[in-house]
Amino acid sequence: MKGRHEDENLKWIPFLILLVFILPFILRGVTFSYRYYLFILNIAGIYIILTVGLDLLSGFTGLISLGHAAFLAIGAYTSAILVDQAGVPFGVSMLITPLITGLFGIVIGFPALRISGMYLALTTMGFGFIVRRLIIALRQWTEGASGLEVSAPQLFGFAFRNDWHNYFLIYFFVIVSVVLARRIVKSKLGRAFMAIRDSEQAAQAAGISLSRYKLVSFFISAVFAGFAGVLFAHTSKLITTDHFDLLLSIKFLIFALVGGIGSIYGVVLGTLTIVLLEYLFIPIFKDWLLTMLPIEAGDIQALIFGLIMFLFIIFQPTGLYGMWLKMRIYWKLFPFNPKKRFT
Amino acid sequence: MAELNVKNLHMHFAGVIALNGISFSVKDGEIFSLVGPNGSGKTTLFNCINGFNRPQKGEIHYNRTDLLSRAPHQIIKLGISRTFQNLQNIPYMTVLDNVLLGDHSKISNRETVTRWFSRRQREREEASALDVLDFLGLANYEQKYLSGQPYGIQKLVEIARALVVKPKLILIDEPAAGMNDQETMEIAKIISEIRDDLGITVLVVEHDMSLVMSISDRVCVLDSGNVLALGIPEEVREHPDVIRAFLGEEAHA
Repeated sequence: MKGRHEDENLKWIPFLILLVFILPFILRGVTFSYRYYLFILNIAGIYIILTVGLDLLSGFTGLISLGHAAFLAIGAYTSAILVDQAGVPFGVSMLITPLITGLFGIVIGFPALRISGMYLALTTMGFGFIVRRLIIALRQWTEGASGLEVSAPQLFGFAFRNDWHNYFLIYFFVIVSVVLARRIVKSKLGRAFMAIRDSEQAAQAAGISLSRYKLVSFFISAVFAGFAGVLFAHTSKLITTDHFDLLLSIKFLIFALVGGIGSIYGVVLGTLTIVLLEYLFIPIFKDWLLTMLPIEAGDIQALIFGLIMFLFIIFQPTGLYGMWLKMRIYWKLFPFNPKKRFT
Repeated sequence: MAELNVKNLHMHFAGVIALNGISFSVKDGEIFSLVGPNGSGKTTLFNCINGFNRPQKGEIHYNRTDLLSRAPHQIIKLGISRTFQNLQNIPYMTVLDNVLLGDHSKISNRETVTRWFSRRQREREEASALDVLDFLGLANYEQKYLSGQPYGIQKLVEIARALVVKPKLILIDEPAAGMNDQETMEIAKIISEIRDDLGITVLVVEHDMSLVMSISDRVCVLDSGNVLALGIPEEVREHPDVIRAFLGEEAHA
C-alpha cells in the first residue's frame, strides 16, 4: 500500500535550501547595494522564525495572540542581559533564552485555558503592555526607554560582524525552525493542536488533555519567539522598547493572515512578502502616494497594512499559499473546468 | 469480566431533568442499544460515561473502575472510545490523519520524536490506521482531505477514529442519522462486524428502529430520563409502555 509520505512532493525542498544560501552571492553579483537587501532579508528571516511559532499557536491551535511582540522583547532583553551583563556565551544564551521565554509563554497560557477568541486577544495584548512597562521599569539592567546596546553574536570564536555574516546565521535557523514546525505539525502534537482548534470534544474523546496541549502550544510558540528575540537583539545591536509595541504584534498576525494562517509555508511566504513590501516597495511609492493623499508620511504604512489585511480577509482568507495551491490545480487541469476552480 | 455498570444516575441541567435514576449494565461482548424519543437523555448518558457531563447523583463503573472521577481525556485509556452525533471531525486534515488522531493516547512522546528520523516508525504508526480504514472500506480515501467528503464517509471516519485505539467498549452515537437505507444497512453490517470480528462491546444510540431491532442483543428504552423497558429486542417491541410512548400505536408490524 502506498504510504502518505510518497504523495507529498518534497523534491524541490533541497533546491530551495540551496537557493537560500546562494542568494546573497547572487545579490552581490548583480547589485551594488546588496548589503541593504541582506539587511531586509535578515529582518524577514527573524520574523519568519517568530511567525512560524505564532502560526502553531494561532493557526493550528486556534488561540489568537496579540502579545507576540512581548515574547520577542523578552527573548531580546533576556539574551542581551545574559550575554553582556552576566557573561554567558552567545551559544549558551541561544539555548537558555528561548526556554525562559517559553516559561513566560506558559504563564500567559494559563488564562487561555478558560477564555478564547476576543477575550484571549485582549489578555495577550495586556500582557504586551505589562512587559513593555516592566522593561522600562527595570532600568538598572535594561537602560529603560533609552534603548540597550547589544554585542554582536559570537559562535565558536567566530564573530558575526555584519549583515553578510548575520544572513547565514539567521537563515540557518530559519530553515531549522521551518523544518521543525513542519515536523511538529505532521506529528501527534500537530494533530492534537488541530483537534483542539476544530473540535474540543473530539480532542478529549481521543485522549487529548486540553489544558496540557494548550500550554504546550503556548510554550512552543514562545520558544520560537524567544529564539527570534535572541537573533533580533544581537543582529540589530540596539534594542528599544518602542520597537515592541502593539502594532508589531498586529503585524505578525498580518504576516500570517496574508500568507495563509494554518500552513507553515504560507506564513513564510506572507512574512517575506510583507517585509519586502514594507522596506522595498512602500519607500518607492511613498512620494507618489503623498501627492495623491493628504496624509502624513508616517501613516502610509499603517494605511497600506490595514488595507492589505482587510482585502485578504474578505477576498482571500486562505492567503497567498491558498492562492498558490488553487493556481497549481488550475494549471494541472488547464484546458478543463478552468473558471470554477478560482472561486 | 469487562462490564459497564450504570447505577441510579441522576442528572439535571438547571430545571430540566435529563436523567432520572437510570440503572443498567452492559455485558462483555454484547451490542446494547439505547433508544428513545428526542430529549430522553441518551446523549447525556453518553456524555456522563465519557466525562463531558458530571451527573449530580449515581455511579458509573467500568471493570470496577469509577468513571465519574476521571477527566474526559483519561476515559480512552480505560479502553472506552466514542463517536459523536454531530460530526466532530477535523476538516482540514486528511482522512488518515483524522484516524491517527484517534490513536493519540497510544503514541508515546518518545515516538513523536523518533518518528521524525525513522520512516519505518511512521509506517508502523500508519499501519494500524490503514487497517481500520480497510476494515471500514475506506482504503482509497486515506489521502483525501475530509472537508468536502460525503456525509456517509465522514460518519465512517468518525467510527474509524474511535476504532483505531483498539478499544474494549465503543460508544456509537446515532450512526445511521441522515443515512439512506443502503448506507444504514452497511452501518448495521459494520456494527455487527465490530463486535464479531474485533470483539468490541458496542453501546449504540439510534433512532432507526429496524436497525436497532436487527443488530442488538439487548435494547434499553429511555423516556424523559427514565428506563421504560430493558430486554431482548422481541420483548421490548411487545412492551405496552414502549408501544405507547415511542413506537406509536400502529408500530406492531
